[in-house]
Amino acid sequence: MNENLKHRIKARILKALHLVALFIAMAIICVPGLWIVLNSFRPTVEIMAKPPVWIPSELNLDNYRAMFGAVGEGGVPVVQYFTNSLIISVTSTVIAILVGMAGGYAFARYRFKGKAGIFIGLMLTRAVPGVSLSLPLFIVMAKTGLIDTHVGLILVYVALNVPFTIWLIDGFFRQVPIELAEAAEIDGCTRWQAFWKVEFPVARAGIASAGIFAFLTSWNEYALASQLTRSTFSKTMPVGLRDFTSEFTINWGGMCALAVLMIIPALILTFIVQKHLIAGLTFGGVKG
Amino acid sequence: MKRSGINALLGATALSMAAGLAGAGEFDGITLQAKLIGGQQYEALYARISEWEAATGAKVEVISKKNHFELDKEFKSDLAAGTLGWCVGSNHSSFASQYPNLYTDLTPYLSAETIAEFVPANIAASKIGDALVMLPRAQFDVSALYYLKDIYEDEANKAAYKEKTGKDLMPPDTWEEVKEQAIFFTDAPNFYGTQYAGKDEAIVGRFYEMVVAEGGQLFNEDWSPAFNSDAGKRALQWFVDLYEAGAVPPGTTSYLWDDLGQGFASGTIALNLDWPGWAGFFNDPAASKAAGNVGVKVQPAGSSGARTGWSGHHGFSVTESCEHKEAAASLVDWLTNEDSQKLESAAGPLPTRSAVWEHVVASAEGDAYRTEVLQAFQAAASHAFPAPQTPYWIEATNLIFPELQAAILGDKTVEEALETAAEAVDELMQEEGVY
Amino acid sequence: MSRLKPPAWFVLLLPAIIILAAVVLIPLLLSLYSSFTPYRLTRPDSLYRWIGFANYEKALTSIHFWTAFGRTVLLLTIALNLEMLMGLGLALLVNKVTWGQRTLRTIMMFPMMFSPILVGFQFKFIFNDNVGLVNNALQSLGLTDQAIPWLVDGKLAFFSILVAEMWSATSVFAILILAGLFAVPRDPIEAATVDGCTPWQTFRHITLPFIMPFIYIALAIRSLDVARAYDIVQIMTNGGPARRTELLWTLIGRTGYVDARMGYANAMGYISIFLAIFFTVYFFRKLNAARGELGMAS
Repeated sequence: MNENLKHRIKARILKALHLVALFIAMAIICVPGLWIVLNSFRPTVEIMAKPPVWIPSELNLDNYRAMFGAVGEGGVPVVQYFTNSLIISVTSTVIAILVGMAGGYAFARYRFKGKAGIFIGLMLTRAVPGVSLSLPLFIVMAKTGLIDTHVGLILVYVALNVPFTIWLIDGFFRQVPIELAEAAEIDGCTRWQAFWKVEFPVARAGIASAGIFAFLTSWNEYALASQLTRSTFSKTMPVGLRDFTSEFTINWGGMCALAVLMIIPALILTFIVQKHLIAGLTFGGVKG
Repeated sequence: MKRSGINALLGATALSMAAGLAGAGEFDGITLQAKLIGGQQYEALYARISEWEAATGAKVEVISKKNHFELDKEFKSDLAAGTLGWCVGSNHSSFASQYPNLYTDLTPYLSAETIAEFVPANIAASKIGDALVMLPRAQFDVSALYYLKDIYEDEANKAAYKEKTGKDLMPPDTWEEVKEQAIFFTDAPNFYGTQYAGKDEAIVGRFYEMVVAEGGQLFNEDWSPAFNSDAGKRALQWFVDLYEAGAVPPGTTSYLWDDLGQGFASGTIALNLDWPGWAGFFNDPAASKAAGNVGVKVQPAGSSGARTGWSGHHGFSVTESCEHKEAAASLVDWLTNEDSQKLESAAGPLPTRSAVWEHVVASAEGDAYRTEVLQAFQAAASHAFPAPQTPYWIEATNLIFPELQAAILGDKTVEEALETAAEAVDELMQEEGVY
Repeated sequence: MSRLKPPAWFVLLLPAIIILAAVVLIPLLLSLYSSFTPYRLTRPDSLYRWIGFANYEKALTSIHFWTAFGRTVLLLTIALNLEMLMGLGLALLVNKVTWGQRTLRTIMMFPMMFSPILVGFQFKFIFNDNVGLVNNALQSLGLTDQAIPWLVDGKLAFFSILVAEMWSATSVFAILILAGLFAVPRDPIEAATVDGCTPWQTFRHITLPFIMPFIYIALAIRSLDVARAYDIVQIMTNGGPARRTELLWTLIGRTGYVDARMGYANAMGYISIFLAIFFTVYFFRKLNAARGELGMAS
């Protein structure tokens, strides 16, 4: 009886500790982000106030209104930036996933000479510092006329994301026992059918997370985009953030407002893809 | 055929062009690509581009709009890749000397009268050698001293200062006084005596001003470093003393212009050497806690008795590779003509045309603050000089600023820091074959 | 004559190889070449002057380069390890939750929505010594009456950058490890519980080996992803003050674009690539070893 009670108390304490730890962790994650959201509704003078203003005296949409307003009065071509970002990120993500699936499958399922070498070689393409890549890339793009176009950035982001997607998807395909696919083939499926019916559903979780990563990388990339875009025709939102800085000033409130516009779609997409991530996992239920 | 036709037309309209009035349909069918500086304070002017388009029949396509640092990077990339099909670019006197071959000499495309209407010092700073590589717009920058008025009116302050130093408390006229008063006013961490830009080209520019005010020079005639001198040491010591005394915010070595402006606007800085662009912001109750309490004074003098102003201005340039230089020059002329400068300077920035200066001063009559600002900056402008006009200026600043910071933060002594910086700059100049 | 049929793996890999060659390899060769020239952006003709290994010599004998190199290794090592541990902790915390996990997972990934350049601005303001959030909070709570110069003091600035970097990247570890946790088979764990193993033993001997490959994937990916931190550091301190936070990336970026000395910058870039190669190969070996234990080796 006493033993039992002790055990139950211990379980309760553990549970409470778990919740407290979870709460603290989530708070640390959220506060710097929510601070941005809050600042987007406050006038700059209050954000920069000294002594600090902890309880906002007024929240308004001025920063947003100004951002959508006319150029010269605080306006920034947000809609164009948003469209560019969306087109570029979505297209490059889809392509990167397809290319990555093919590559990941090759590494997980085939044995061939120099496999480790090729694999590392592919991965290392990502090891190149963006700074040393950006100028030669710019020259190549300039020669091929891809500067300031969607296609140019899409190509770059596919290349940026492919090593990552291959690696991730490879890892997930490896979790699927090869016997499963072989069994399907014995049952009369072609390798292609076996892939879609058996391996793909199981690896779907991996593909979903690779997709999120690829999308977020493209959505948020700045260094290369700032080099390869020039005008509203292809500028993406991270580059647009720079519109709020000028030689002497920085419009922090406005920047926060654009940041919020950047975060919301990413947040929504992540939330949606979560569902598929779960579905992919529960559907398979394959024991390793 | 068509080209010569355009040229003939040009000749015929040369006079009207010189007056800044382009002939109708003069540049029909021409499209100019432009790379302009973006940012709220610069954009209002671009609305006038459509008027020029209507007047001349040409089209302007803005293919890039970024801040100056990003534009600078873009220009360099363009030079590297040879993507120079565009015609008109925003330029800045501090950056211009880095790309001596990018922009064409505007002199053949403008009348001497047009050029003479600008402030001569600004024209001089727009030249590389004899080539006029840009026309200045109404964005001239030189610094003056902003201060909080109430702390000078406070009786307790006056008495305490008198007791401490034996002098009356007045807005400072020399850098020595700035130091003394800054230390006196400081009540860290809530209130600081002053602050200074602490990194990149900015701190080197401030150091440059101070060296000259102390009677020294940054470079010798042959571009060998000259700042490792007694004047240089005194200049750097000033920054070090303020930092050691805690009279500047401890983060000052990470500050750039935006941090400084926001700092003074937060009402926690007593004295602030800063740019004219902030004048309106500082006195705007919606943006600044110091509003209504801002005084402006000409920059203080150094121990040599000289006042010095490291200055810069924005302008527009035409590329050497531009196919339609006449049209491009006409656009540049339009964007810097009297009406354009009046439009821009109405929002606060300082003009670079003599007539517009008079106009601005006249229209500020009755506005005490604006008049005070203009007087201070007009005085400051008379002590102004541009950044050293060598292609290696920016690179040299990148060698110098970490050493200045090291001295300020106490990592090195003033002597060591200047020694190291001078050696590095010397090596750079020799490597580049300057001497 | 038999028609040469390329093996299936090659066909599958071909798209990846083509695109990486076009976007990474060709530019990289170009920059490799330029690292042997005194190439200055503002003087395109300097690209055709061969100076051999002079740039490399200059970099390898430069004290600034080596301090930046050392600091980069230090930052990478500390950041990767801490991020991994915190990511693991976070994943385990979230994994235990049975209710509202989807929302929690989305919140967990919240920092990933922030563009690195935004993270840079954000933490620059948070750590501002005068009007920053951290100092304001500390002063309002009465914990200090000093304005702590977060971005100026050498150690504090390193710490601040570390915090920003960790804030933005821990999620990556957490989500990957969480994905790994989902893939852990239930049977062995149930069996272990029945056999009377403590939770720690179960974790140590069953869960951990299973998620190890995921941890190494995350580590390797992150160590490759050096360019991300460039944005953050560039905005926050840009290597300053007095080179106290200089990292390879800020040094290379400033030399290449501000000083316009692309040849020299590329030489430094190439040396720093070896650093990335070292980290990647290291983690890749670990990954294969971990897979070997699970019988998944290739």
